[in-house]
Amino acid sequence: MIPLTWFVALSAILFIIGISGVLLRRNLIVMLMSLELILNSVNINFVAFSYYLEDMTGQLFAIFTITIAACEVAVALGILIALVKNRRTFNADDLDTLKG
Amino acid sequence: MSPENINFLTIVTFLPLLGAIVLLFFKDVRKIRWIALAVTVADFVISIPVLTSFDITTHHMQFVEKYTWIPTLNINYYMGVDGISALMVFLTTLIGWVCVLVSWKAIEVKVKEFMISILVMQMAMIGVFCALDFVLFYLFWEAMLIPMYLIIGVWGGKRRIYSAVKFFLYTLAGSILLLIGIIAIYYAGGKTFEIPLLMEQHYSFTFQAYCFVAFFIAFAIKVPMFPFHTWLPDAHVDAPTAGSIILAGILLKMGTYGLIRFSMPMFPDATIYFATPIIILSIVAILYGAFLALAQTDMKKLIAYSSVSHMGFVTLGLFLLNKHGIEGGVLQMFNHGITTSALFACVGIIYERTHTRDLRQYGWAAKHVPIYAVFLFIFSMASLGFPGTNGFIGEIKILFGAYDVHYAYVIFLIIGIVFGAAYVLKMYENVAFGSNLKPAPEGSGTFEDYMSHIKDINPREFLILGVFTVFVVWIGLKPTLFLDIMGASVDHLITQVNAADLTSIAAR
Amino acid sequence: MQELVFSIADVTAVVPEIIVGVSACLLLMVDLFVKEERKEIVGWLAILAIIFAGVGTVCLASVEARTVMAGMYVVDLYSALFKMTLYIGAIFTILLSLNYMKSEGVEYRGEYYALILFALTGMMCISSGADLLTIYLGIELMALPIYVLVGYIKKSPTSNEAAMKYVILGAFSSGILLYGVSLIYGYTGTTNLAGIAAGITASGTDSPVLTFGVLLLTVGLCFKVAGFPFHMWAPDAYEGAPTSITAFMAVGAKAAAFAGAVRIFMAALEPAFADWQAILIIVAVGSMFYGNITAITQTNIKRMLAYSSIGHAGYALLGLIAGTADGAASIIFYMFVYTFMNLGAFGVIILLRKCTGKGDMIDDYRGLAKNNRLVAVVMLIIMFSLAGIPPTAGFMGKFYIFMALIDQGMITLAVVSIVSTAIAAFFYIRIVLLMYMKEPEGEFDLVKSYSVYYVLAICIMAVIVLGVYPGAFMHLAKAAAIIM
Repeated sequence: MIPLTWFVALSAILFIIGISGVLLRRNLIVMLMSLELILNSVNINFVAFSYYLEDMTGQLFAIFTITIAACEVAVALGILIALVKNRRTFNADDLDTLKG
Repeated sequence: MSPENINFLTIVTFLPLLGAIVLLFFKDVRKIRWIALAVTVADFVISIPVLTSFDITTHHMQFVEKYTWIPTLNINYYMGVDGISALMVFLTTLIGWVCVLVSWKAIEVKVKEFMISILVMQMAMIGVFCALDFVLFYLFWEAMLIPMYLIIGVWGGKRRIYSAVKFFLYTLAGSILLLIGIIAIYYAGGKTFEIPLLMEQHYSFTFQAYCFVAFFIAFAIKVPMFPFHTWLPDAHVDAPTAGSIILAGILLKMGTYGLIRFSMPMFPDATIYFATPIIILSIVAILYGAFLALAQTDMKKLIAYSSVSHMGFVTLGLFLLNKHGIEGGVLQMFNHGITTSALFACVGIIYERTHTRDLRQYGWAAKHVPIYAVFLFIFSMASLGFPGTNGFIGEIKILFGAYDVHYAYVIFLIIGIVFGAAYVLKMYENVAFGSNLKPAPEGSGTFEDYMSHIKDINPREFLILGVFTVFVVWIGLKPTLFLDIMGASVDHLITQVNAADLTSIAAR
Repeated sequence: MQELVFSIADVTAVVPEIIVGVSACLLLMVDLFVKEERKEIVGWLAILAIIFAGVGTVCLASVEARTVMAGMYVVDLYSALFKMTLYIGAIFTILLSLNYMKSEGVEYRGEYYALILFALTGMMCISSGADLLTIYLGIELMALPIYVLVGYIKKSPTSNEAAMKYVILGAFSSGILLYGVSLIYGYTGTTNLAGIAAGITASGTDSPVLTFGVLLLTVGLCFKVAGFPFHMWAPDAYEGAPTSITAFMAVGAKAAAFAGAVRIFMAALEPAFADWQAILIIVAVGSMFYGNITAITQTNIKRMLAYSSIGHAGYALLGLIAGTADGAASIIFYMFVYTFMNLGAFGVIILLRKCTGKGDMIDDYRGLAKNNRLVAVVMLIIMFSLAGIPPTAGFMGKFYIFMALIDQGMITLAVVSIVSTAIAAFFYIRIVLLMYMKEPEGEFDLVKSYSVYYVLAICIMAVIVLGVYPGAFMHLAKAAAIIM
């Protein structure tokens, strides 16, 4: 059996990659993908814990997370399309009208 | 209904607020003025029984009202007066209607807002003197901030915004310290906000010292004591006349009242420990205020600095911690409220006619406006403490008190009094007897033309100054009534201070 | 996990949520039959739905606290009070929007009200959630419609930009929060709040897994309440969003986030108090000072209120730091008061915004008092209340929080926060100064909208009444906090 630590380590790595992606990359699409990565790392955690704890809550939670991630991306892409229509840019650094 | 069943203090406190609410529904400026006057006069009349049926044999709080207010936080609606606050309440209601009369013609824009501000202000001021619950006290204390800020900032003189903001920031800084002090004493004094209960506790010396300093700075800003006095001249000069009268007459008394009501009885050890430094600060304030007053050419600024000097007498008297000193201090609080308010009213009256406050522009008062000159003379004499006026009684008592403590204080006080006489006489001479053929201001024709527009005081102004004169002479000739009212409370205050643990102070 | 038994009692307990959620769906359909120029009808219907839900909540609150839906959902006085706050926030937002959205020239105005109701459903789920899953779902159900609402003025680049920034940082914070939840689940084996508390008590608090989980969960929640240094989405989102939605975010979303935070920290993470208290102290002190100092330099009033809301979040967090029933009660009270203060402020902003561009800048308030006395007085009272000067409700809210802190002996923290209040007074007073003591440049042409007038009137009355007589509501809040 694969030890729990491996799963947690994998999820931690994915989480860190996701966080770094959001913070370091400037392309809005890539940032959205990194957000997905974070949520997937969470799912791995939940499922792994659920398996080792022999408790269904974790899997239940993972299914909800997947659903919500889909909604989030749908909304985010919708907003992104509106933004691109007005601004013609995918770069987060160009979003600089609001500051202070 | 017997008098005991009437909630006098609540009525006196909240009648002005009611008046302010009524004013909201009126538009006609004339009606607004009359209603404001009616309300303030009614308030004055209702406050008279507080003095007349006051039991002078006891130091206990009288006219006490106590209701649960915010049980979750253990806050009560708790009002009551002792001899000292009863006098202050009376002074406040007296000044109240005088302020309305003074602003009768002087305020022409936004009259409604002005009268509402004055009335709200009066409610807050009376509330401060009556509150026996710390949170209630703080609420009233802070409620004064908003209307006064507006009075200075909206209806003020040239640099009104600067002065209003300066006033606001100074006062706010004081309030913050006050709030911190209140919270600290709540915590140390058994989790209650009731002032009489908090007075009975004994606190450790370190705690007393810290709290005393926090309270002292908060109140010293209000007094204002040297070196926290710099907001006062600005605020006075730029405030409208009524604003100056409220400031000098009542607001400054809040500081000394706070010292009497909270600092001295609650922190007796710290009071004795800090008494000498405070007396020295007071002497500095007396001399410094007097010197600065001597150098002013702006009449209002001169009186403002004289306030710093006179309030120095008050704080000095209080911290002598003997009967003569404290009685003199409290009486001088009342006197200063009368005399300085009267002087500010005089400035307002002459300013309305000439649109200048520069002393060098006057000099014709005795000849052209003789009645005005007589009144100004009376108040000038009261201000310098001439025998027969109220100022004399207060100052002589403080002198007696000072002699009992240390003769050196007396020397400084005498110097202060001499300088006081100097600047007051300088002012009076400049206004009344200066060379009376000064060139008229540009654009107003010959001197005679200019003078022909300047009338002597009208009946309204006569009434204002007349009332002040009555008190000047009354206290000057027969102060016993006023001394009797405060007597028991002052005695009690001295016992409270003397309960200090002298060994712990000696150990420092 | 408990066995799933579905009973009628479970359904009655969530009637208010059902009313709001179903009405949202129905409104989408009703909208199809309403003419473009009469879309206000949809708004009024939404208000009606919220009022029905409110009646339902009041009826349920009179019953004793009970947990339903297999321990996922709790109906108690605490949730009822927060729901009342949220209803007021939502109703007033809709009232403020009726005229405003029309004047902004926004299309699809019917869906707008439906989205507010969806967001409200989410907020209600947060305040009643007894399980991290419910609370998480509530947070997302609240956030998704608000993302859309922030970007509702589709043609405005600032609105788009605000929405984009908000959605990215919002999703980011949800991710962090979820990772924390997953670690806590791994440590305790449950997502039920009571279960977590029991799990932590049983297994001890000195595991790095737990510490890390609590840390991430705290960070996620601080993002949601916009606490420093996790506040950066707030100023942009506040400034770019339509003003009515800014108000909704400032009152609804914030109150809901605090409802969730208090429940999570007090019910589930109580045994790990030491782990999160230190973080919250840093966040609270940072928020108070950063928010209030940065607000001083702002020129846009919406942005200024955003920074002020960061400061207020700091004050409210102090109640959590106290960690007592009084602390929780003070947060309930503060959020209630804060709702009225902020809605009033945004109401005035909306009144000023007739011609595009006017009303958003602080300088636009120059000389407002000259010809618009009533509006100026309203703004004056609200500004003093936000600054926490008595006798307004803002003071009582802060005072209660300070008292809760002091009862726990945290005097230094109380003193620090009082000092930050003084800094805050600075920029609120500046608006009063501009309104009353400067001469206006040009005429003011205020919007005439009775719905906004009603909102302002009620807000002012609430601010004064709660400032002078807060006893009754405080008592309720205390009772609610004790039951929880």
